[in-house]
Amino acid sequence: MKTRYYIGGFIIVVFLGLLFYNFTRTNIEYESDFTQVMAKGKTCKATGVWVKEKSFQEDVQNRTFIFYLRDAKNNEMKVIYRGIKPNNFEIASNVVVTGKYENGVFHATDVLTKCPSKYEGQNINTSGS
Amino acid sequence: MKRAYYIFYKDFSSELRMRFALNALIMFVIVAVSTILFSLANEKVNQNVYAGMFWVVVFFSAMSGLSRTFVSEEERGTTLILSLIANPISIFIGKFLFNLVLLFFINTIIAFLYMILFQDFSIQNWDSFLLAFILGNIGIAGSSTIIAAIISKANVKGTLYPVLAFPVLLPLILMLIEITKSAMEGNPISDVEAELMVLISYDIIMITASVLVFDIIWRD
Repeated sequence: MKTRYYIGGFIIVVFLGLLFYNFTRTNIEYESDFTQVMAKGKTCKATGVWVKEKSFQEDVQNRTFIFYLRDAKNNEMKVIYRGIKPNNFEIASNVVVTGKYENGVFHATDVLTKCPSKYEGQNINTSGS
Repeated sequence: MKRAYYIFYKDFSSELRMRFALNALIMFVIVAVSTILFSLANEKVNQNVYAGMFWVVVFFSAMSGLSRTFVSEEERGTTLILSLIANPISIFIGKFLFNLVLLFFINTIIAFLYMILFQDFSIQNWDSFLLAFILGNIGIAGSSTIIAAIISKANVKGTLYPVLAFPVLLPLILMLIEITKSAMEGNPISDVEAELMVLISYDIIMITASVLVFDIIWRD
């Protein structure tokens, strides 16, 4: 009778661990390296900076918005977003796109823009008052 | 094991004769699915909505029908006799099998209705959907059987059941919606590997825990 509880408890603990381990894996991962995004081909959140030189194309009729992103290692990636351009896209310091990399383009389902902070530090004059 | 089969057989034949749970379930499914059908009315909706809606109907049909197994024993006053002729584990396994068969039957109907009524509910990757369907049914049947045993002694059976079942079934439903979404988009099965592992561990935990504590619940 006692051993039954021990065996049962053991099974529960082992699988509870497995459950939590896998539960944490189900979240969508942030990825700041585009080579990883391209290699994996899974749904993820890619963060990067908009390439201003290449501009963007906006097709209002078909509601698509195409632009290029660049990551910290200067890898570039074409992003196609099914939707309209987010409001403060031009001034955004950082862009986070959620989606999947397929056939050379990143198909985004969601675009988040990070606005430059109002309170970013100016060069503080350290020479006193 | 033999006793468990007899209990399953007894429930099954009495269900075929009376059709308490079955009628309630089929009525619920028809009402729910037709309400969704009329309110959507050919509107183009996001696929995610269908995945969620499918499992909502499954969850509530399980809530309305599966508590019958123990509540009916209690209402007819046959609980004592049942505990005399069989040991708790075989009672649990018998009831679990009965719920599982009932759930499979009703969920197949729901899935079938969804597929013929909603064009957008089209599964691209059958492997992962079927796997999620089977594992999900086992999980729902396991946890609803043990919760039905807990509430059968209480006075307010109807409301207590969904209240107790919701937090227990929530992680399961979330994973199932996630897998269904991915199956509808046609992603390969390796994409939802982590979700499927969660389902498997959930099923195993639920059934082991139920077998362990059923003794205590049943004797009280």
